[in-house]
Amino acid sequence: MKKVLVIAVMSVLFVFVVSSAFAAHKKTSSTSVASTSGRAHKNTGCGLGTMLWEGRANDSSLFQAFQMTTNATSFNTFAITTGTSECDQPSAFVKNDRLNEFVVANMDNLAKDIAMGRGETLEAFAELLQIPVEKRAEFYQKLQANFAKIFTSENVVMADVVDNVVAVSKS
Amino acid sequence: MLGMYFLFIPTVYRTARSVYLFFVLMMIVHGCIQGIDAFAEDKNDYLTALVQSAREKRLEDKRTWKILLHYEKAGSGVESLVDDQKFFLAPDGKKNPQAELEATLASFFQQENNSETEHPQCRFIARYTWLKEQLSIDEARLPRVACTKWKEALASMNPKSAVLVFPAAYGNGPSSMFGHTLVRIDSNKRSELLSHAVSYAAYTEGNGGLAYAFKGLFGYFKGYFSILPYYEKVTEYNNIDHRDIWEYELNFSQDEVLRMVMHVWELKDIYSDYYFFDENCSYDLLYLLEAARPSLKLTDKFRGKLKFWVIPTDTVRVVKESGIITKVNYRPSQATRILFLASKMESAHQDVAVDIIKQKTTSQTVLTMELAPEDKQQILDLAAELLQYRFSRKEIGKEDYQKQFLAALNARSTLGASSADAVPVPSTSPDQGHLPDKLSVGAGYRTGSSFTEISWRPAYHDLMDPDGGYVEGAQINFFDLCGRYYFNEEKARLQSFRLIDIFSLATRNKFFQPVSWKVNVGLEQELLADGKEHPIGRLNAGGGVAYTNRILGTSYLMLDADLIAGNVLRDDFSFGIGPSAGILKKLTPSWKLNLVVQSIFYNLGDEHETYKATLAQSITLNTNNTIDVILSREKTFHQYQSEAKVSWNHFF
Repeated sequence: MKKVLVIAVMSVLFVFVVSSAFAAHKKTSSTSVASTSGRAHKNTGCGLGTMLWEGRANDSSLFQAFQMTTNATSFNTFAITTGTSECDQPSAFVKNDRLNEFVVANMDNLAKDIAMGRGETLEAFAELLQIPVEKRAEFYQKLQANFAKIFTSENVVMADVVDNVVAVSKS
Repeated sequence: MLGMYFLFIPTVYRTARSVYLFFVLMMIVHGCIQGIDAFAEDKNDYLTALVQSAREKRLEDKRTWKILLHYEKAGSGVESLVDDQKFFLAPDGKKNPQAELEATLASFFQQENNSETEHPQCRFIARYTWLKEQLSIDEARLPRVACTKWKEALASMNPKSAVLVFPAAYGNGPSSMFGHTLVRIDSNKRSELLSHAVSYAAYTEGNGGLAYAFKGLFGYFKGYFSILPYYEKVTEYNNIDHRDIWEYELNFSQDEVLRMVMHVWELKDIYSDYYFFDENCSYDLLYLLEAARPSLKLTDKFRGKLKFWVIPTDTVRVVKESGIITKVNYRPSQATRILFLASKMESAHQDVAVDIIKQKTTSQTVLTMELAPEDKQQILDLAAELLQYRFSRKEIGKEDYQKQFLAALNARSTLGASSADAVPVPSTSPDQGHLPDKLSVGAGYRTGSSFTEISWRPAYHDLMDPDGGYVEGAQINFFDLCGRYYFNEEKARLQSFRLIDIFSLATRNKFFQPVSWKVNVGLEQELLADGKEHPIGRLNAGGGVAYTNRILGTSYLMLDADLIAGNVLRDDFSFGIGPSAGILKKLTPSWKLNLVVQSIFYNLGDEHETYKATLAQSITLNTNNTIDVILSREKTFHQYQSEAKVSWNHFF
């Protein structure tokens, strides 16, 4: 009996150790509701701090332990375009789905690159906006100088960012 | 004749005209029907001719057909690795390449219906393109099909070149060491982030725990190919999992890349049973490369081998050996970038960045400090990266993150552009590291007798193995088997068998505070009360902390829990806990030293205490050969024993 107990305790301990070791790696979903007014429910996941893999099903520690070669992400075959239907659309562009998607998926890195005046995300953004290569340095400078006008608050969403960038680059 | 008759009898002309028109109409209709018959006949004739020609050319035996259908040898015949019936047009297509080929040819003659299902000419575009080439199919004699969906996807991807992508292990998760591989399809866009990533992954339906592991091992999961924007994959690996990414550019021509994309299209929504060890992401991805260039023999390298698993680095090596890699690029993870950024800064400046994220100071305050603008830049750059890092690991709430992150960037945006320093590329890429199999032969002396031993470990990396190409401090040994022969006993015995032996040594610093941990399950010879070694089963786990110091190297302190079981023990088992401490230091790039002291106090079952000190040294001769020198002394049940051993390790 004692033996069974010890083995049980040990097994629990084993699972615990593995779990805690992986705990830091967990990606539990804790979506905080954006505190903006009317846009709140619609624009969730269109602003800063959007994690594309939030709440991904296979978050358990043991999953991580046995993850090995799988890397099963959300089941999303052929998402050549992922869509931005949850987000308000910018007014400045008639339709540039790829740009909108890119901004939604890369908002944080884009903000960082704009603030730092350089970076790969910023380059891709400029390419989607079809800014000629020779004008990019100037474009980056302008965005950096007007950072506060683009990222107006922590609740800024994709539509604002695109509209603001267009407004800034025209000014 | 009829016309003349009507002309000669004008009185009945009106009625006759109707009759005449009726006849004409009938003839037209009849003609049409005849025409349709003729077409159907032509179709049948043409299909028969194509099938005949395909049989003559024995197309079903051609390598391309085998690749496109994922056929592999099974018994005397073949069997496709694809398990989805939708992938086959013949009912027995999974096992019958010829029936499948002929059913495929027949399907090209289907009339297009307007339903959502794609016409086989589009759905199986790679097969269609290849068969059209091989049989010189005259498209005019097939129904015309638009293939709108395929054309849209193709236009969106605009494939030009391809890159094999390998995200390396996550620092504190040795199990991720096995990594993953995917293929990036580049267009003529300059930015790689705007490319597309093709990967093969298991659809796990939210299963977790042991059921998950079981299902994974025995193929209960379905594996699907997917295409995603590359930036999503980069975010996933670099910014969320904090894994460095290695990119291997391939010398495929545009046509070859197109062939690969066509094959990916065929695999859309098609599943294969997913097996963690062999039919996994990395193995299935090789089919894509073969589809691009059928003369490549990649999957073959893994067939008929005694190995029952496929490790992603092995697939990278196989691809490298095939000579199609032209260039290697490195994309550091955010954690790597943070350490690089910090390495350029003074310690006091690093502390300011840490203070910002701990909210002891604000980003705005940094602007007013009496510092050079470059120092302010670096502090705020580091703070922004650290905030992102902490948020990705849920160490900070979303609202706090949004506020602090924006504040740091706002301040940062007033300071001009950062310098374009790139993180230095590690000198050894994952494909250049030691091979995962290890064979060791050694000899030594253990109190009372000298011995010789041989051991084999099929995977993957030990703390004492050369680090190049691997994540430092991440050990994962699988199925480590060791036999020993003692000369005084004149008897060979199983010295140890470690089913799994993981040791994750993750160093803590002011930015990251990971927990180091270890798990070890197996059988071992253990020194017991009678002063002899006896076989016991062992389950050992521990957690602790590790720090790096320029002089001492990596030092660590852990608390271990140990359960041993065997019928030589009183009550058949012993359970205890105790501390262990160690120092792992690289004296030179090819000379490594690990000093460990450990004690365990067994107070359940067979009560006793053990104390053990081990000094292990490893000398790297070259990438795949090392010499280990191990000295140890232990005390158990008041019995002392010492051991000295020298062994030669060969990686293969």
